[in-house]
Amino acid sequence: MALTLTARPLANEKFGSGLTLAIVLHVVLAVGILTAAFVNPFNIDRWGGHESTEGAIQASIVDSLPLPPKAPPVDKAVLVQPDVTPAPAPPPKEATVAPPKETDVLIKGKTAPKTVKVEAPAPPKHPQPTPATTKAATGEAATQIPQSIAKNSVGQAALTVQDHVFGQRYAYYFDAVQRTINQNWFGREADPRTSMGKSVKLIFDINHDGTPSNIRVETSSGSPSLDLSAVHALQRVDTFGPLPSGNKQTVEDTFTYRPQ
Amino acid sequence: MRSLHLLPGLQRLAALICVAVCALTATAQDPFPQLHQDLNNSRIRIAAADFKASGSDPTTPAQKHTFDTVLFSDLQNAGIFDLVSKSMQPSASPGYPAEINLAQWSAPPASASMVAFGNFVVQGGRVIVNGFLDDAKNSQFPQVFAKQYNEVAGEDSARQIAHRFADEIIFRLGGGINGIAESKIYYIKLGGPNDKEIWEMDYDGANQHPITHLGTISMSPRVSPDNSRLAFSALDMSAGFTVKMYSLLLGRMVTFSGGSNSGAPAWTSDGNQIAFSSSRSGHPEIWVADTEGRIAHQVTNFGSDTSPTWNPKTNAQIAFISGRSKLPQLYIMESDGSGVQRMTDGGYASSPSWSPNGQFLAFAWDRKYGPGAPGGQDIYVMEVASKRWIQLTHDEGRCDFPTWSPDGRHIAYASSAGGRAANSKIMTMLVDGTQKHALTSAGADMPNWSWK
Repeated sequence: MALTLTARPLANEKFGSGLTLAIVLHVVLAVGILTAAFVNPFNIDRWGGHESTEGAIQASIVDSLPLPPKAPPVDKAVLVQPDVTPAPAPPPKEATVAPPKETDVLIKGKTAPKTVKVEAPAPPKHPQPTPATTKAATGEAATQIPQSIAKNSVGQAALTVQDHVFGQRYAYYFDAVQRTINQNWFGREADPRTSMGKSVKLIFDINHDGTPSNIRVETSSGSPSLDLSAVHALQRVDTFGPLPSGNKQTVEDTFTYRPQ
Repeated sequence: MRSLHLLPGLQRLAALICVAVCALTATAQDPFPQLHQDLNNSRIRIAAADFKASGSDPTTPAQKHTFDTVLFSDLQNAGIFDLVSKSMQPSASPGYPAEINLAQWSAPPASASMVAFGNFVVQGGRVIVNGFLDDAKNSQFPQVFAKQYNEVAGEDSARQIAHRFADEIIFRLGGGINGIAESKIYYIKLGGPNDKEIWEMDYDGANQHPITHLGTISMSPRVSPDNSRLAFSALDMSAGFTVKMYSLLLGRMVTFSGGSNSGAPAWTSDGNQIAFSSSRSGHPEIWVADTEGRIAHQVTNFGSDTSPTWNPKTNAQIAFISGRSKLPQLYIMESDGSGVQRMTDGGYASSPSWSPNGQFLAFAWDRKYGPGAPGGQDIYVMEVASKRWIQLTHDEGRCDFPTWSPDGRHIAYASSAGGRAANSKIMTMLVDGTQKHALTSAGADMPNWSWK
């Protein structure tokens, strides 16, 4: 059986019409795909395109660059002729007659009720205690001013003491803390590719004997090496000297990378 | 439209390239040895007012003068202050906080941010000093501290009180590092060809007096961390140089069995162990023993190792000088003898001293050793972790025997002009090489700064 199948001459088969049909269909399909690519009938969003609904990628690129501000609109149009046809004046307002009031028309037998004005007695004047305000009148949104700012070859470090009164009372102590950290902050530890002005905010506690503890990164700078250099600066400190008073003081320190 | 949006991308690329190039040039231009001792740009401006004298004792002016002078020089020596010159201070000398006009002191020309002032009374054979430190910039809470000192009257007391007051100021303002005004320096005084005794002086060179009277040649004094004993090596007619121990409390020699031909003792910072060099196994090696010389065990085994010094921070490492590669070089190792690392790359290194915080090694080094070689022996400081070093002395003769002050801010050393041992005198400087000045006249050698 198999022998007879292979032995049948192929010339007897009708190839011509089928082949033509297949070629035509392929050509149509190819042309259709190409057309669809140019025409884009389904309006598919493209990433990074310039449509008004653009993706986040392009937005971040534009925002991160310090582009000049957009040019202000031209307000002096020099090409416009000065004596343009003036706009027609608005139509005058029609005088409207107010509706009559109840008292305008007198009706006999009806008199307006007399009203006697009785003055309310003045309230007794007692000194009223003003409630103790728990909030200051201002300063709600104000940022806390750093306790001390010091610069070294790496950049600058701004120190903020959480307990405001304590920070003012012992300002000299936090100056010393600042200076000690500054001497232990080595800029070489930070990656030199770190952007100027990047800053990392650390929070730590100063114990009674002056040793720093609980060092943690509050706000990262985005540069891990800068964050680490700041943490290392604190870890290098053995002691700041005993606290002038109290058992523990929480301190916030901002390291700003500004190598000279 | 599309080309317009390409522009920001190009700008970003340009910015990145710019940053990369800047970073490369910045690292390339950095000076190679760089230690961060930026004491200079962050000094506190402080004024030390002349104290107000009261009382009718005739010795008061002289004692007060000593007090004022010592206080001024102590604060200046500390290396963390920018001191207001006396001529720029307001003429009034306030005695009590009520009498001081801080605005006057914080305004130019004084421009002080801190003012030390007080009063000085000699009364009935006693001197009473009230000292105050005020923060001139803090108008609300100016006072930093107030202290009263009461001692037997005398020049020496006035000096001691000034030292204590200065130390208190340094402790409060210096970030918790104790001042050094009460520390001592032990050194070798050259008496004659066969007479070198151990002397003691204050850190500022005052009050020089002898400790030992052995009539022999003593070398390398090392005081114990609690200031109670002094280990040193002395020439013994029978046994050569041997390690000896002197009790500063008892005022006499106590036993230490270092064995013959031993020297260069070094205390651990806890005062429990002594490393020293001993030739009992045939050639100089480093041995570690307890404070009486017992339970000695050998740590190195490579021939001619000497001058050990412990890492005072951990007591887990020892730096030493070894001649295992011909010329003596500086090495460090763990205290059990493992993990030996060579620190210097050539020349002739000697007398290492480890800084109190464990970060640096000070040592004497002749980098181009040999006949006709340029340069001489100078003091160097090396950061242990990175092996970067800086040279601290230049062109002042042969310098040797650096020793760290307990606060790690100063180094004392011996400097001999012309390289002659008889010219040797003891100098001190800040660790950045500034404020060099002599503490003794010629004839003093091998200083050792006390631990506190």
